[in-house]
Amino acid sequence: MIAAPNSTSSFYARSLGQMAALRGAAEGLQGQIATGERLERGSDDPIASSRLRALARQERLAEIDEGKANSASLSLESASSAMEDMSDLIIRARELAVQAASDSTGEAGREAIATEIDELRVQLLDLANLTDTSGRSLFGGVNPSPAYVTDASGTVSYAGSANVDTVEVGLGIEVERGLTGPDVLSFEAGGASTDVFAFLSAFTADLRGTTAADPAAAARDALAGFDNALDSMNRSQTVLGARLAWIDNVQFSASIRGETRSEEQSELGDVDLTEAITQLQQTLTVLEASQASFTRLSSLSLFDSI
Amino acid sequence: MPASLINIGQSGAAAARSSLEVTAQNIANAQTEGYVRRRLDQQEVSSRGTVGDFTSGTFNGVRIGGVYRPETPLLLSQMRSSNSSLSQASAELDALKTSELSLEQSGLYEALVEFEASFAQLESDPLDASLRSNTLEQGRNLAGTFQLAHSSLQEGGDFLRQDAQNTLGEINQLAQDLAKLNNSLTRSEPNTGGHAVLLDSRDNLLKELSGRIGITPSFTPLGVVNVELSGGSGGALVTGTNAGTMTASANGDGTLAFALDGASVSPASGRIAGQASALSAQAGLLSDLDALAASTISILNTAQASGSAPDGSTGQPFFSGTGAGDIGIALADGSGIATAPAGAGANSLNTGNLASLRSALANGGPAAQADSILFELSSTVRNRDTARAALETIAQSAQSSLSAATEVDLDEEAANLIRFQQSFQASGRVIQVANDLFDTILGIR
Repeated sequence: MIAAPNSTSSFYARSLGQMAALRGAAEGLQGQIATGERLERGSDDPIASSRLRALARQERLAEIDEGKANSASLSLESASSAMEDMSDLIIRARELAVQAASDSTGEAGREAIATEIDELRVQLLDLANLTDTSGRSLFGGVNPSPAYVTDASGTVSYAGSANVDTVEVGLGIEVERGLTGPDVLSFEAGGASTDVFAFLSAFTADLRGTTAADPAAAARDALAGFDNALDSMNRSQTVLGARLAWIDNVQFSASIRGETRSEEQSELGDVDLTEAITQLQQTLTVLEASQASFTRLSSLSLFDSI
Repeated sequence: MPASLINIGQSGAAAARSSLEVTAQNIANAQTEGYVRRRLDQQEVSSRGTVGDFTSGTFNGVRIGGVYRPETPLLLSQMRSSNSSLSQASAELDALKTSELSLEQSGLYEALVEFEASFAQLESDPLDASLRSNTLEQGRNLAGTFQLAHSSLQEGGDFLRQDAQNTLGEINQLAQDLAKLNNSLTRSEPNTGGHAVLLDSRDNLLKELSGRIGITPSFTPLGVVNVELSGGSGGALVTGTNAGTMTASANGDGTLAFALDGASVSPASGRIAGQASALSAQAGLLSDLDALAASTISILNTAQASGSAPDGSTGQPFFSGTGAGDIGIALADGSGIATAPAGAGANSLNTGNLASLRSALANGGPAAQADSILFELSSTVRNRDTARAALETIAQSAQSSLSAATEVDLDEEAANLIRFQQSFQASGRVIQVANDLFDTILGIR
């Protein structure tokens, strides 16, 4: 009894299995080309899938960081432009002080100057209490109330917090969102610490002659204080400028990081079309060849010769 | 003498005709599942007489011995054991793939990232009512996603348990069929066509059974089969004409405990074993998911308790529940989210508490845990897929060795057809020659 080398049904089953496997491979490649995605499910490549998940998370958080960096930039820019306006007001007040320092300016003239400086002081207070687009005080730190409040006697005092909150602008870097009122408006005058509002009200009182015997001399003395106020303002401007440049820097690095990320994402998850199409072509060629050889083999039957 | 020649020719023609019938039967059953090709056994018939030193012999033709059916016990047992392993791997892989799909499609990881992102967004403007509502809604979304993942995993488990019960039903039915078949086998005569049919059905039933549960069959010379469960626990499923009954009961964690006639058994392979191990993987996944939900709940509620809400009060729990199945939102609205550290006062823009919550969420937090659950699951699926492909190759080669050894080769049958036809014609010729001889003798005058 010689064992048959090949049973007919196993020949058909084997040929069918081989062609089905080729067809399945071709369809898988076709799916990859159609969707542009290499991974249909996690188990196609667990490590790449996990990496893709981490990248997607980083991307989502980076998007939010970018928004926050933009809003921080906006806050800092608003603060900067408010401070420019404040500088203009203080420069105007200093010009008035120079006029008042002249002995030729009479009492009426000094009264007019004092009135204008009072007006400038109110404008300064308005500028100091400005809020940014999301309604938070530009110079009040983390407290929700206005930065400076005026009490019943007209004294202006700082009501904000001592520190400014920080905001994450990307890559885990935090930037302070602004400056506190005292950072900007407090300075040294005559060896004592004061702020613009106290300084200006003391000055107008001097001009009106209620506290100083010689208003013109008082005005001359005050000029140094105005210079210190402007210095403090300039320093703060520099700080803000440096922070804005820093945010730009961080955003630039973050965008480069983002490009690297998309590159990696595409490397991990996208189909290399050239490779996929070549593979598809190869698979199809093999499939066609095996179909042709199957047809020829299966037509070989001894029964045709009987 | 011529009469004997006619008898010899007649027996040869009869044998050739029977062989042709068997060949026709083989051709007809070329596509029949489990059909083992038959051959006809033939024996020479001759008689011998001895008187003293004188021996004489006469030829009496050929005798049809019986239907010969090739037995291939080794190939069959290889086929059965590879079939068991393949069914086990396939059942487990299918179930794991379903779990993978339900976890991935629930979007759990994405929901966790969105939730985390909503806190990052909130940090930019902690008192903004719409950002707060957004955070709360993302939390609600996350809770819903947890529940969805939990319920789809549980549904998968219910389906698997139902499937395992169906498999057990099939195993019991097959065991009973085998017992009945054993009964018929004891009553049938070996080396007959009827006996061969019974042996074919026996091997078919054993193949079916081996796909469902790992078995170790043993055979008596008559072909009667006794079936033991393979693996350490053993247990007799079929003994002669008696069939055992397998049952399963669900454990607390959703896995199944199996028993054969009341005695506890653990199936070693086959579909039922794959379903059992898939169920225990499912139970592990559910507990991982519960742990993830519990850790998310605890991170959020701890952070809430150590911070203060915009109205200055201590933060209230964010999530309710203890696991993935019952997680829900406990806060009534977004104004309850405690972004500021404790004692910061009302309407504080201080985001100290939010920052510590964010770092708890980011560093090895829920998103990383979810990723590791997904990674573990998809790696398992990947490894099982590779293992299954290897088992498939083994099973296929076992099946094709068996097919080559037992199934019908049409070319061979075509050759046999011609051979037996010629032998029939030759025997007919012998009868004709005998007839001629007889006529010659009668014609002598």
